Amino acid sequence: MKHLPKHLRPRWRYLAVAIESWPDADIDRRAFQRELWYAGQNLLGDPGSAAADLTVVRFAFGDGTGHALVKVRRGETEPARAALSCIDEIDGSPVGIRVCGISGTIRAAEENYLGRGRQDLEERNVVFGNEERVAVVRDGDGSADVRLADESFAGATDLDYDLA
Amino acid sequence: MYEAVHAHPDGQSTVARLAKTAADYGFEGVVVRNTPNARPAYDPDEIRDEYGVDVVEGVEIRTDDPQEASGAVGNHRPDETIVAVAGGSTAMNRFAVENDKVDVLARPMADDGDVNHVVAKAALENGVRLEFDLSRVLADHGGRRVRVLQSLRKLYEIVDHYDAPYVVSATPTTHLEFRAPRELTALGEQIGLPADFIEDGLAEWRNLAERNRHIQSESFIEPGVERGRYEEEH
Repeated sequence: MKHLPKHLRPRWRYLAVAIESWPDADIDRRAFQRELWYAGQNLLGDPGSAAADLTVVRFAFGDGTGHALVKVRRGETEPARAALSCIDEIDGSPVGIRVCGISGTIRAAEENYLGRGRQDLEERNVVFGNEERVAVVRDGDGSADVRLADESFAGATDLDYDLA
Repeated sequence: MYEAVHAHPDGQSTVARLAKTAADYGFEGVVVRNTPNARPAYDPDEIRDEYGVDVVEGVEIRTDDPQEASGAVGNHRPDETIVAVAGGSTAMNRFAVENDKVDVLARPMADDGDVNHVVAKAALENGVRLEFDLSRVLADHGGRRVRVLQSLRKLYEIVDHYDAPYVVSATPTTHLEFRAPRELTALGEQIGLPADFIEDGLAEWRNLAERNRHIQSESFIEPGVERGRYEEEH
């Protein structure tokens, strides 16, 4: 079909979203898209999610951090924000979600808000709460996820542990 | 704007990690509201200097027995900047709002708890903040969330009518449960709580902390009594 004349095309806004989880989380684009549409439908209802659109157009995730670009109809960015904030876990992994910024084009959103490169992860032996543990340390910003005895993680920073 | 958090061992992240996340998300401070038997080990000044966010020492008392709660409030009041009492039953809600040593009545609508005009008036009189807890709205969905939303709306109508003091929080227990203030205000708009209502509620933690720090500081003598500039030591 011939594409629409410019004045009839919908105006989009692109939400740059930062995603965070534990280091062992495995989240792919389909899972994120599914959870986002669920969240939209649950919070905004069918008309609200139709109005917001909420399509994931860029997605990257690895080693517990990632980012996504979410396409939203102009004027619906606040409902979209609300829907995004209601995503609490994806495929059983709890996730932290934050909107870093909004742009009118994919390119501007990528350049302005997703510019930061991937952080390197490092496993270190640390002393946390008087016990020796393995921590997954993020290079550069000081946060560390300490693996506990029951295979779960504790979120910590370099203030909380001593290197073993 | 401040966020009230449960830190390790109550939650899964340490105070430092929560404070760091709060700084990244645009909060000005965190209130640590662990229960008395899960006290975290942390140095508020060190964290404040490292991440540039305020760390307020607090406690949340959880019990079903008003008498026990009364003892716990008395024990913790001198040491903690913010003392919250978890509601969830008629008896505990009444106890908390009728006690001016309590700063915050947490989750008044949870479980069997309910709020009416009597509770709202008592809260207003004693300066006890009623809490709007958004954590269940963020995590639940379906029928359970519908009931949570109904109770929040009821609480909003009562608080709004009596102008009762209130606080808003998302009560994260890990750094992953944090949501930025703009996300919380957007969520508020969707569920019937106006944006400025949410913002004021998040900011109220700060007012509360400042007031209590002033009262607990050495320069404070008694309400209405101040040291004048004419007073000189001989």
